[in-house]
Amino acid sequence: MSEVILKGIKKIYDGDVTAVHDVNIHIKDKEFIVLVGPSGCGKSTTLRMVAGLEDISDGELYIDGKLCNDVEPKDRDIAMVFQSYALYPHMTVRDNLGFALKLKKVPKAEIKRKVEEVARVLDITQYLDRKPKALSGGQRQRVAIGRAMVRDPKVFLMDEPLSNLDAKLRNQMRAEIIKLRSRINTTFMYVTHDQTEAMTLGDRIVIMKDGFVNQIGTPQELFGKPVNLFVAGFIGMPVMNFFAGCNLLLEGGKYYAEIRNVKFELDEFQQKALKSRNQKPCEIICGIRPQHITVGEGELSAKVEVSELLGTEFNLHARSGDDEVVMVIPTMDLNTDVSMGANIKFTVQPKLIQLFDKETKNNLIWYDPVSAKANAPECARY
Amino acid sequence: MKQNKLSYKIQQYLLFGGPGTALFLAVVIVPFIYGLYLTLTSWDGVSAVKPFVGFQNFVEAFSDGDYWAAMGRTVIYSIFAVVFINILAFGLAYLVTQGIKGQNFFRAGFFVPNLIGGIVLGYVWKFVFNRAFVAIFNSTSLLSTTEGAMFCLILVSVWQYAGYMMLIYVAGFMSVSKDVEEASRIDGCTSAQAMKNVTIPLMRSSFVQCIFLSITRCFVVYDVNLSLTNGEPFKSSTMAAMHVYNQAFTYKNYGLGQSEAVILFLVCAIVGVTQVLIGKRGEVEA
Repeated sequence: MSEVILKGIKKIYDGDVTAVHDVNIHIKDKEFIVLVGPSGCGKSTTLRMVAGLEDISDGELYIDGKLCNDVEPKDRDIAMVFQSYALYPHMTVRDNLGFALKLKKVPKAEIKRKVEEVARVLDITQYLDRKPKALSGGQRQRVAIGRAMVRDPKVFLMDEPLSNLDAKLRNQMRAEIIKLRSRINTTFMYVTHDQTEAMTLGDRIVIMKDGFVNQIGTPQELFGKPVNLFVAGFIGMPVMNFFAGCNLLLEGGKYYAEIRNVKFELDEFQQKALKSRNQKPCEIICGIRPQHITVGEGELSAKVEVSELLGTEFNLHARSGDDEVVMVIPTMDLNTDVSMGANIKFTVQPKLIQLFDKETKNNLIWYDPVSAKANAPECARY
Repeated sequence: MKQNKLSYKIQQYLLFGGPGTALFLAVVIVPFIYGLYLTLTSWDGVSAVKPFVGFQNFVEAFSDGDYWAAMGRTVIYSIFAVVFINILAFGLAYLVTQGIKGQNFFRAGFFVPNLIGGIVLGYVWKFVFNRAFVAIFNSTSLLSTTEGAMFCLILVSVWQYAGYMMLIYVAGFMSVSKDVEEASRIDGCTSAQAMKNVTIPLMRSSFVQCIFLSITRCFVVYDVNLSLTNGEPFKSSTMAAMHVYNQAFTYKNYGLGQSEAVILFLVCAIVGVTQVLIGKRGEVEA
């Protein structure tokens, strides 16, 4: 069992700058958890606290059931892959891979066997006697991963390991990490600012902003049930469309979302959720994913400003009133003119409309004050 | 293309590199070659006549017992001084890169002795050894014994150069990637193991530079030697450079002094360059 539990973890610099606020995460054994968020959100700091490279200002960190706040990094049985690879430039690949084992005084024959096995798995056998300087970025990244693998750690920490690679190599290495994960089957904590990496790699994703955890959930939950405007905007590509100046109406015991004076009757689930929290009519921001928009017929209209054909789909950038609306429209069965300058009609299924409170920016359906409190008291502070 | 023409390139070189080259030739190369010529004469340093004697001065230099005794002392002095300068400088650099309060103040403070000229430094320490320590410990001056004088010379040189070398080591410490140090901590290194296995190997270029600089400076020590001990007692602290100076200017054997200086230069260059060549092997970017 290599669970990692972060209980009320805080990082305060110089007594007054709080970089990480009261983070509560329970990472299950063999779970792949991804910390994602924009630069400066505290994700790397959180990872470094787990690694023992930063002191924990407050809260408790448990690795495999053991309180690790004051345990040295070397005694935590963790391995870490750095963004810069952090290979030892004066050592060969072989020495880099075997260094941790050598420090543990593992017999030489055993080190050799393990190093060669890892090298074979990562396909770097031919580079074992080279120094890191003589390797490409992707090869260095493999060595960095190999250096962590060879130790067989309880927890595998990765701090933006793919950021220094070009787009093609990044996609390739992402696939390698997925394969690696199935092979070594341990607990992973992975930091990235790239939501695609987060969505494709993580069993669960922790979204952070300004040192607060905003939401913890599976990729599907984050995509479909964002608790606030930030999460909704951060997850998904292209970014969710937000319509300001919308209203939540309550007429005849039914809730409606009013967008550009067009009323959408919300579906049964939304009605129940809003009723259960006794939601009063209010001004809201409506969020609609570009993929959820249907073009052709509908109550809303827009003028196409940019039309990008991407093979199986069009990416349309259209103007609807004051808002720019992005739509992803499959080319199959498309009977509407979506060329530049065309006026189009569009609509969306009401159940796919995300409703955000204009004041708090929280999702009126999915934001749960109780679980938010449990995760982080101010997690909804957008 | 105009830029590819040789005349254009020469013009450009003369414009930008010409003044520097002329100055370098005038103050380094010409005096050096002229000095080599003087080794072949029995010039006394004053007269207008410079009788040509061939390699006679080199023959005399090789049979000058005082010179080789001074050279031997210089080697011993250099070994001790180079070792202690670098150990102290490395230690100080480590200290002032650990984020201690006021570390910039300490860096400046440790560097100050290097700003004071060797002559002044020698007289200050001479006062300390001859007056202050004698009064405090109620003993004879260390400078009055042969071993003591050598010890004092080494001590003052260490004091003088450690701060300067410290700056190079500070740059070395700062060039070691923080990620690599952290990776070593996660890999299981204690502080001492990280220093031995990661930090020191990555600071190899700093070691090469500092050892080269300290060797070359120690081999030609003169100013501190003059002001602190003046070669005394009984010439027991006369270093090679001082012997060369005395030979050329005090005993008026300029040609002989010059050839001894050339030998000193060669010894110094051979030791320095060998050290750099060996040190550079396996050097990597931190």
